[in-house]
Amino acid sequence: MAQIVVQNAVKRFGKFTAIDDVSLTINDQEFMVLLGPSGCGKTTLLRAIAGLGMLDTGKVVIGSKDVTYLNPKDRNISMVFQNYAIFPHMTVFDNIAFGLKMRKSPKSVIYERVNEAAKLLHIENLLDRYPGQMSGGQRQRVAVARAIAYDTQVLLMDEPLSNLDALLRLEMRAELKALLTKLNVTTIYVTHDQIEALSMGDRIAVMRQGKILQCDTPTRVYDLPADHFVGSFIGNPPMNFLMGRVERDSNRIQVRIGEFQLNPPDEMQDILRVYDGKDIFVGIRAENMEPLAQPTPDSLQVRVDVVEPLGAHNLLTIHIGSDVLKVSTHPDFPAKMGGDLWIRFPIQKIRWMDADSGKALTPNLEKVMA
Amino acid sequence: MTTETYPTTSLSLAEQEQIARRAKFQYNLRRASIYALAIAIAIWILLPIWLVAVMAFSTPADVRGFPKQIVPVPLSTDTMEFFLNQDGILRAARNSVVVAITTLVLSTIIAVPAGYAIARYVFPGRDAIRLGILSVRAFPIVVLAVPLAVTFIELDMYDKVYSLALMHTALTLPTTILVVASVFAGVPYELEEAARIFGCTPTQAFIRVVMPLALPGIAAAAILTFVLSWNEVFAAILLTISNRTLPAQILYTLDKSGDPFKFAGAFFMLLPAMIFIFFIRRYLFSMWGINK
Amino acid sequence: MRKLHWTPYLLLLPSMIYLTLFFAYPMVASLQLAFRKDVQYLKLREEPESDAAETGTLAMQTAVAVLDRMRLEETLPNGRTRPIYWFRVQAEDTEGTTVEGWVNQENIFIESRTQSDTARIVTGEAAKEWTFDFVKRMVNDFRFGKALRTTILLIVLIIPLQFILAIVMGLVLQSGIRFTNFFLYIYAIPLGVSDLASGILWYSIFTQRGFLNSWLVELGLRERPFIFIQSGHENWMILAIVLAEVWRATSIVMVIVVAGLQGIPKDYIEAGQVFGANLWQRIRFIILPRLMPSLQVALILRTILAFQVFAVVVAITGGDVMTVLANETYRWYDPARFNNSNVAAAYAGFIMLLSLGISFFYLRTVRAQEERESQQ
Repeated sequence: MAQIVVQNAVKRFGKFTAIDDVSLTINDQEFMVLLGPSGCGKTTLLRAIAGLGMLDTGKVVIGSKDVTYLNPKDRNISMVFQNYAIFPHMTVFDNIAFGLKMRKSPKSVIYERVNEAAKLLHIENLLDRYPGQMSGGQRQRVAVARAIAYDTQVLLMDEPLSNLDALLRLEMRAELKALLTKLNVTTIYVTHDQIEALSMGDRIAVMRQGKILQCDTPTRVYDLPADHFVGSFIGNPPMNFLMGRVERDSNRIQVRIGEFQLNPPDEMQDILRVYDGKDIFVGIRAENMEPLAQPTPDSLQVRVDVVEPLGAHNLLTIHIGSDVLKVSTHPDFPAKMGGDLWIRFPIQKIRWMDADSGKALTPNLEKVMA
Repeated sequence: MTTETYPTTSLSLAEQEQIARRAKFQYNLRRASIYALAIAIAIWILLPIWLVAVMAFSTPADVRGFPKQIVPVPLSTDTMEFFLNQDGILRAARNSVVVAITTLVLSTIIAVPAGYAIARYVFPGRDAIRLGILSVRAFPIVVLAVPLAVTFIELDMYDKVYSLALMHTALTLPTTILVVASVFAGVPYELEEAARIFGCTPTQAFIRVVMPLALPGIAAAAILTFVLSWNEVFAAILLTISNRTLPAQILYTLDKSGDPFKFAGAFFMLLPAMIFIFFIRRYLFSMWGINK
Repeated sequence: MRKLHWTPYLLLLPSMIYLTLFFAYPMVASLQLAFRKDVQYLKLREEPESDAAETGTLAMQTAVAVLDRMRLEETLPNGRTRPIYWFRVQAEDTEGTTVEGWVNQENIFIESRTQSDTARIVTGEAAKEWTFDFVKRMVNDFRFGKALRTTILLIVLIIPLQFILAIVMGLVLQSGIRFTNFFLYIYAIPLGVSDLASGILWYSIFTQRGFLNSWLVELGLRERPFIFIQSGHENWMILAIVLAEVWRATSIVMVIVVAGLQGIPKDYIEAGQVFGANLWQRIRFIILPRLMPSLQVALILRTILAFQVFAVVVAITGGDVMTVLANETYRWYDPARFNNSNVAAAYAGFIMLLSLGISFFYLRTVRAQEERESQQ
């Protein structure tokens, strides 16, 4: 069993706080993705778990062992590096066998594991070669093979696909996912690519400025972003945000966008009542808006600024007041640049957020937050 | 794939804390021992310099005394004065400066165009020339000094300060070329291209954009040239008799001199080198032609 | 890729001319000095005339048999005449063939121009000839063996110590401690110190009334100073020289090592840490192999420089009780001592040969590994 617990981790580089009081629990055999823009502290956190950089304060527990001050080699971890870190002076075989040799495993075991790992990554025919003239994809495979041959209960991956070209990355992503489900290891996977995070992770921890903003399953992170940042960081296009004014109409709370009235569902009424007379963020994903070619009583008329046909769907850019929105439509939907269309907002798909803090306003906020 | 089983028995909190404490102690011990090692090496480097500096600033009586003191009490400039007043020392010091500066100027003037060519142009024979320069840098001075001395005698150039400067230029030139080349290589070519897009001729681009950026590095190369010439003794002692440079003079009179003379002389030779190394420390790594 | 042009060649021209003048020419001159000597040969003539056809050549001091003589008259500028003798002589030349011909009386030493039937060749025409005389003289000098042995002993002792120390320095500087720049400057100081100054520094420690003896006596370990530097204490003198050279010349190796270490991606070392390599294993399996090219450069540079070790030895030992190859070169050259630049040039050539041999050997050894890495 290799559960990983990070408690109140803090790491500073001079005045810059890279990890700001982070606590995170990764369950045994879970695939956890650390996602965030560059400089958010995700790699620093991974390295702290690996033991490649000591925390200033806080604790790292792997399995039942407090490893905060232990060397990487005593942590029962394995790792795939961003630039692969394949030793150019060793053959592929020696590279994959490196950790096992350091562990002084018997020759037969080394041979068996190296071959097994090489087979899993389809690089059996490269074992005698030096990495010098191998392609990025091949090196990537060697790096992964080395990590899994080392056979630990924790596998750390630091942006392993970021140096591959787009097509190869797509292919490797699926292959890695399939491979890792077979392996029964606890995996922490660092990436800045939200598609990788969404497609691979059991859970995603979204980080920003050294803090974890939300840690949840991909669907929930996508669907119920914990705040404005998560909503705008995840998803392509990002979640649309409109400024809405909260108003009381008889005893019902309404949110007004320009002339248009939204009627929040019952469970939101109490929460939004606090904001009476104030502005809030109204968030909705591009694919959750219903574009209509004809007006209906509950729809809003908008002008189409840009139409971008993307094959599987069309992406429309519209504006409501001063807010710019992206709407995703079926390719057959008749929309012309400069033309009009009507939009209906499915009220259950709308996410409400505090305009100052950006925090999501939901009846069960605790469940959304990490 | 078989999975090795690791002990997963949960430890008590106290035991965990103990493990963490021990690990933290070991970690701190490792850091401390690296510092201790760093300081020990620094002492190894500085101690002999300190000792000779103490001698140079003790009274001549203390310098001859036994056991020797390791702090200069009383502080005295008598030993240094005694050394500087020795016959021929000031003259030799002046010769050294003249030779070193001539070498610096000659070497820099010849090396700058060559360094630029190696850093900026791709041309047939470039690698061969680079390799040739690299290999003459390691060329033994001893091998050159004897035939050059004989040739200088034939050409009536023997025992001249400028002849020694010519010799030193030959010795320093390969190193200077390589340092200058690495300095130029460190100036992004895009900057030069940008200058030319915005209307500079190649020469103007070089003078207005490349030179200002390369100047500190070239100055470092020049200083290194100075230090190499200032320190060189074998060619100096072979090529001069009446116009000795400082190291040649000190070496030549070594067996006839007392300790105060030697120690003061060593300190005097040491001083400019230490200062100059301080100024060029940033460029030390580009100096040996390893980094392209 | 810039356009092919003559500009780079023009820029390189001054350097190339200068280096040729001061490297290529002295090399040739050095060979001339070491392997060519001035000789005189006497040419035998068919007729008793100085422009008659040659019949053979004789070396100086050859004993000859006088077969015949001829008395000629020579008119002096003042109008008087005097007798000139030509002799027909026979002798063995340097190759052992018997030659015969006429020689002028100026060229031979003869007891009596009219009576003697033997003579000796004393003068002739100047010529240059290849010779091993100077090399023989160098090799046969009793100090040659000593100098060679000491030089090699010093190399064997100094170089490994230097490299170990330089790598330790490099690792310390790369370990991410504070004040790295400060330590780097300190470690680099000896770069600017001449071998002479370094020799005197360590002389101050090892001399009879030096610091080491001061401390030994003050600590009560010895009653009176121990004389480290004297004939018979070779080991102590070697130790002093080794320390002085390690102290002085490690810096340059350190600089090369640090430059090399900076070229190793941090990833490699971290991968080593993650995959269970301890410090020694990381050095042995990751750092050293990656450092090899840099070490090779440093090794060649240091070995060649070590063959020229000179002022340190003279400063510490005075150059008489202990000698090295460069010191012998100087002693033979020195106008105040042997004043023989030919033997000096032979020494110089010998040092050159050793340097070349060593470089070649190193290059061959390291090349093999590089080739394996770059293979398909």
